Amino acid sequence: MSGAGHTPHPHGAHDHAGDHAAVEDVARPGYYEIMEIAVRELLVERGHIQGAEIHRQIDLLDSRTPALGAAIVARAWMDPAFKARLLADGRGVAEELGVSFYDDTGLIVLENTAEVHNLVVCTLCSCYPRPVLGLPPEWYKLKPYRARAVSEPRALLAEFGTVLPDDVEIRVSDSTSMARYLVLPRRPEGTEDFTETQLAALVTRDAMIGVVPVELPEGRPA
Amino acid sequence: MSEHLITRLPNDLGGQPSPPFERIDHELAPWEKRCHALADVLDFHKIINTEEKRRGVEALGSEIIGQLSYYERWIVVFANILFQKGILTPEDLALRMQEVERRWTPDGADDAGGASNG
Repeated sequence: MSGAGHTPHPHGAHDHAGDHAAVEDVARPGYYEIMEIAVRELLVERGHIQGAEIHRQIDLLDSRTPALGAAIVARAWMDPAFKARLLADGRGVAEELGVSFYDDTGLIVLENTAEVHNLVVCTLCSCYPRPVLGLPPEWYKLKPYRARAVSEPRALLAEFGTVLPDDVEIRVSDSTSMARYLVLPRRPEGTEDFTETQLAALVTRDAMIGVVPVELPEGRPA
Repeated sequence: MSEHLITRLPNDLGGQPSPPFERIDHELAPWEKRCHALADVLDFHKIINTEEKRRGVEALGSEIIGQLSYYERWIVVFANILFQKGILTPEDLALRMQEVERRWTPDGADDAGGASNG
């Protein structure tokens, strides 16, 4: 059984220190985990995929976090020319910054303004701007968010604590496997003297999905 | 009245009546993360792409979709598609799943030492 890759050790002892210890399982696996192990081992043994590819992909998944998106947002707030290019070609600009894309998927950046608030959903499944935000939160993949984002976005946003004035237009973008969306939130008031790094630290995952605004930390005068 | 059964696929949720929203999140279990990595690697090798995966989930039907978790659906779909493409057989998978399960039983534990030779 060579090259089986990520097979969990049944005794819970890690016999190759540092080799993805965090993704090894110690508990007796459930039915679907057993299926995952079996499918993966068979594909590796028969040469369809390599165990090392799975390891590398896990590393890549772990490396994709909302910090990538936040850095892009902060740069756009600081640099109008950058923002213009970002809105015109989200994927190209993200790639310039070293973000890797895994297939032909496009990245479309949607700018929030005083008049328009953007919200991102995937009603059919769970398409999400993974290259710049990592994996989606559980709620993004579940029925209530997917069902209601398109039919009553204002009420749904209010449940996130985001109450928008009635004269703000809400635009909901429904993602597909080929078109993923990232919201460029509004820069908060009172950040005129912030550095790009300080700005990036304010930008949350949920703000880039469009469910909350970017806000100054508690206690800081706005 | 059966129209609702055919006018929408089970995963086409936009605008449907839904349970109340809850801001649920959790860290992925290690096997879920491996399952996600497997999906990406299968896509790279053009064995199963994202559209095939999504259609495969639709084909599970609403009862299975409703009862299985996100990555449970994925691994079942991968198995189904691999069967359809003749890359694995149901027997291959059943036998290997039995073997994997035995690694966690006391009698089979001794046989499992070589399994983590990764």
